[in-house]
Amino acid sequence: MKSIKFLTLILLLVPFLAFAQDDYSFDLSEFEKEMEKKPYSVGGYLEFMPKIFRLDHDAAFYKLNFYNRPEKDYLDEYDLKLSMKGGYEKGISRVYIRSSINTTESDIKSRTDVTIDEGYLSVKPSSIFNISIGKKALKWGKGYAWNPVAFIGRSKNPDDPDLALEGYIMASADYIKSFSGPLQTISVTPVVIPVYEHVNSEFGERNNTNYAGKLYLLLYDTDLDFMFLKGNSKPSRFGADFSRNITSNFEIHGEFAYIDDITKKTIDSAGNKTETTCDVKSYLLGIRYLAESDTTFICEYYRNGTGFTGEEIEGFFNLVDNGYNSYVSSSDETLLKKAKTMTEGSYGRQNPMRDYMYLRITQKEPFDILYFTPSITCIYNINDKSYSLSPEILYTGITNLELRLKAGFLTGSDNSEFGEKQNDYRIEFRARYYFDAANLFD
Amino acid sequence: MRKIMIFLIAMMFATPVYAIDGNELLKKVDRNLNPDSYESYKKLINIEPNGKKKEFILFTVKKGKDKVAAIFISPASEKGRSTLRLGENMWLYIPNVGKPIRITSLQSVVGGVFNNSDILRLDYSSEYNVEKMEDIGDEYILHLKAKTKTVAYDKLKMWVNKEKLVPVRIECLTETFMLVKTIYYKNVTDFGGGIMRPAVIETDSPLYKGYKSVMIFAKMKARELNDEVFTITFMPNLDSLR
Repeated sequence: MKSIKFLTLILLLVPFLAFAQDDYSFDLSEFEKEMEKKPYSVGGYLEFMPKIFRLDHDAAFYKLNFYNRPEKDYLDEYDLKLSMKGGYEKGISRVYIRSSINTTESDIKSRTDVTIDEGYLSVKPSSIFNISIGKKALKWGKGYAWNPVAFIGRSKNPDDPDLALEGYIMASADYIKSFSGPLQTISVTPVVIPVYEHVNSEFGERNNTNYAGKLYLLLYDTDLDFMFLKGNSKPSRFGADFSRNITSNFEIHGEFAYIDDITKKTIDSAGNKTETTCDVKSYLLGIRYLAESDTTFICEYYRNGTGFTGEEIEGFFNLVDNGYNSYVSSSDETLLKKAKTMTEGSYGRQNPMRDYMYLRITQKEPFDILYFTPSITCIYNINDKSYSLSPEILYTGITNLELRLKAGFLTGSDNSEFGEKQNDYRIEFRARYYFDAANLFD
Repeated sequence: MRKIMIFLIAMMFATPVYAIDGNELLKKVDRNLNPDSYESYKKLINIEPNGKKKEFILFTVKKGKDKVAAIFISPASEKGRSTLRLGENMWLYIPNVGKPIRITSLQSVVGGVFNNSDILRLDYSSEYNVEKMEDIGDEYILHLKAKTKTVAYDKLKMWVNKEKLVPVRIECLTETFMLVKTIYYKNVTDFGGGIMRPAVIETDSPLYKGYKSVMIFAKMKARELNDEVFTITFMPNLDSLR
């Protein structure tokens, strides 16, 4: 652990080890070499991310995750990740793979995961048509923090929405047609997603083949998408999204999703489970505005139709409290175990309630410091008035090295979403080094 | 009285004729800078006051007046990022993010003095009208005014080499004539296929004192491209055009 802490210190100091290079000059022969295209590509990044969490002993998720462990005020965690991607192109065909090895070390867990995030074959007979088969991450929707219309993608983390996600095994195609006039582009993306025991088993109910599709239009300078998912693995759903620049520095976007006959599972403070089936609507409206001061504002409102009401989530938090009290008084874990079964993809998911606001303010290169970007992000739960506030600074001034220091402060009353999270705040540092290893194969 | 009338009528026609000449000249400058439809490589170098540099290499394709796309091929941290411009609509595709997002012409995908509209440059004549033209011996000075409010710079003052009809220097100004940046065109080079243009563009800005950005062009050649290449659906596949 000491060596990891030493590595952290060294990485924190890297930005201050300024080095000067020669003034502007260029070597055309070197440029020629850099322009050369190889049929294969190999690259990726190595990431080291130490984190420290200040734990909240009164919070429901602390009690649920730590009830049978020694009491702790702080939790250190060290993540080391190697993400690799490679491709090989021949004629109209291309094979692409993206995988990652992620090691996490902390006082409560030590684990290594190897994931094939994407791996597919694509064939592109012309610029208007291509077809792909394999594991692929398709991200639908125009929202920055949330995407209610991402019917065939995994949920992204609104606290870090730019992270690459794992895909699903599917067959998909793109057909594109351009026109002159108000309708400039049409593209159609049909998708087939099988769900069986060893294929996309986490997508939904097994032994089904699901069909999805997206129609994209660029109409009157507005991006418009219409999408659907039909099959027996998940309730059928359809939706639409749009994005448009009102002025060159002001963009608006939105999404709407309708889900047919979705079953919602809730649990009350006594551990009784209830299932209700209904149709739900989710939607999002957002803006992106760039001020003259080079400050970017992203603001979104999200209505999560599948989310819990205040009463429903309070029932879950009370169950955890009751379970914890039973455990302390009689070592009875029954209620806590019942609560644990309801966390995965349900009460424990990111932003499980109904109405949220998101605001992110980013200042590009303040004080004329190139490649230095401070930001602050707030996710506000309108229903219970709890929120998270995350300031961060990003420095990308050293070629292929990205350094980010980020904190996250959670505030909320008892029985509120952010008030009942496991920690009060966290501080994390991320050093990511990108590399291109294609030259090693020359 | 009759002479005054003739003089006034002559003056009424004089200004538009002058403007048409300027606009025709600007179109010639555009065609000398690049073919109507082409591909090219660009190296961008951002230089800080202490001499520290950061370099990017892009592959660019352009078609007609309003379609341009580019993909980063270096450094590794930017590789695979692509940008698309259709008129004043601009998108950025980041492989990790996995979907195109709208960006604005005033932002910069690379940091430094060049912004997105400098990197994804359309023909000057598609965005600007010539308001006034001056003849100063070896050069013309064209005073350009943006056709719409959505253009990155409201006014340009362009010095044009009379012999080669390519820009020598451009001052980018706001509506209130505040200087935003100056762009210098250097090293006129024969790219083959009848393309003879400056291979190096340098820029500095009073807003970024001491900083400089340089764009070097290579392998520019005319190329026929399908319109479908300039769509957000095609953005992840731009590298296949190389």
